Amino acid sequence: MGAEMIEWNFIESSFFYLLRGALVSLQIAGIACSIGLLFGTLLALAQTGKYKPLRILVTLYVTIIRGTPMLVQIFIAFLVLPQLGIHLSAFWSAILAIGINSSAYLSQIIRSGIDSIGKGQWEAAQVLGFSRGQALRYIILPQALQVVLPALGNEFITLLKDSSLASTIGVVELLKEGQIIISRTYKVIPIYLMITVIYLVMTTILSLILSRVEKRLKTHAGN
Amino acid sequence: MLEIKNLSKIINGRTILHDISLNVPQGHIAFLLGASGVGKSTLLRILNNLDPFNSGKIFLDGKPLDLSLVNRTHTVGMVFQHFNLFDNMTVKGNITLPLEKILGKSKKEAEHSAKELLAHYGLQGLENKPVSSLSGGQKQRLAIARTVALKPKIICFDEPTSALDPMLTGFVASTIDHLAKEGYIILVASHDTMLLEQLPCTIYLMQGGTIAESVTSQDFSADKKQAPRIEAFISGAEYK
Repeated sequence: MGAEMIEWNFIESSFFYLLRGALVSLQIAGIACSIGLLFGTLLALAQTGKYKPLRILVTLYVTIIRGTPMLVQIFIAFLVLPQLGIHLSAFWSAILAIGINSSAYLSQIIRSGIDSIGKGQWEAAQVLGFSRGQALRYIILPQALQVVLPALGNEFITLLKDSSLASTIGVVELLKEGQIIISRTYKVIPIYLMITVIYLVMTTILSLILSRVEKRLKTHAGN
Repeated sequence: MLEIKNLSKIINGRTILHDISLNVPQGHIAFLLGASGVGKSTLLRILNNLDPFNSGKIFLDGKPLDLSLVNRTHTVGMVFQHFNLFDNMTVKGNITLPLEKILGKSKKEAEHSAKELLAHYGLQGLENKPVSSLSGGQKQRLAIARTVALKPKIICFDEPTSALDPMLTGFVASTIDHLAKEGYIILVASHDTMLLEQLPCTIYLMQGGTIAESVTSQDFSADKKQAPRIEAFISGAEYK
């Protein structure tokens, strides 16, 4: 009975710290995702645009970013950038690396969405007098995003899980909080179990939100 | 009056259009008749600045028409074969979007104009429905309303009956005829002889990228011998 009481107290107090870490994980994922989405959209626009040198540059960028491990990119952001005179905290180094990494993946998802919209939509827009930019903004991108939303959702979930890599450079997010508690208490099983459950709850809630958005967009379009 | 003079288009050494000349006065319909691949649609696409051309001149009301500007000035409109409506929007949105973003109308003005136009084309009550819920005929009427909303001088119809139930041919014909009577210059590219029979127009038979023969529908119905090739095309189509 007594042992059980101690265990519950331990879980309760650890849970608070883990939640604090989860909040940091969400911050990393949220900001990195915004960077990735913004930069990824710009990359996709450049890749579907008229300028060949720009298209080649984007392809090169995507090849490099997708072809190297995110962990290496995080280390570069944290350890190599300061040598070049760019000093970022561990938190921002992780966000920068994860954001840039996801921008490469997101750009390809968004590009595939833009490519999936038939030529007829572009032509109708052109004949009505829309500029290329207006056509993209009002007609093509809204439809493209609707097409790629499930893929984007997967990427967001991956991003949330990948935020755990920030622990390797000392960012105290969910995984690191857990590791700190373990280093003090040696209670490996309950902590990793709790970390797993918290990640699972976060990703499940995220995927529920995404499927709701997807449904709403579909109803709006009447498909 | 739309005047097309000696228009030619060549792609990779292959002649797509050769020396096309035709005049369409205001309120008249030019019916470009011909089998697939003879260049009918290409001609309409050139007029809408969707395809380039190699040589030739185009005049509208006596003045040279710069095709690179026709989209921005909404001089030419196009009702596409598959309508190309904006699928992510409502019926009303398809009309209000160009009115707001292209003509710079306020939301209220755009909605008012859209409502009137939709009612004119028998789409009242469907304003807030998604485009995907419309029937083929309704989609075409929406495409026409969207084109007319920008008040072009020339309206092109690319195969207006091919995506529709043949039962609707008469309705399409009367809609196009009505637009001509409203003063638009109309060009129709089609191989549909049933549609041709119901439209008062000038028939241009296109073969191999050229205009092989032309005749007004009135003269043709008075004496089919005047245009033996057109007659052959129509009777050939009937037997197919």
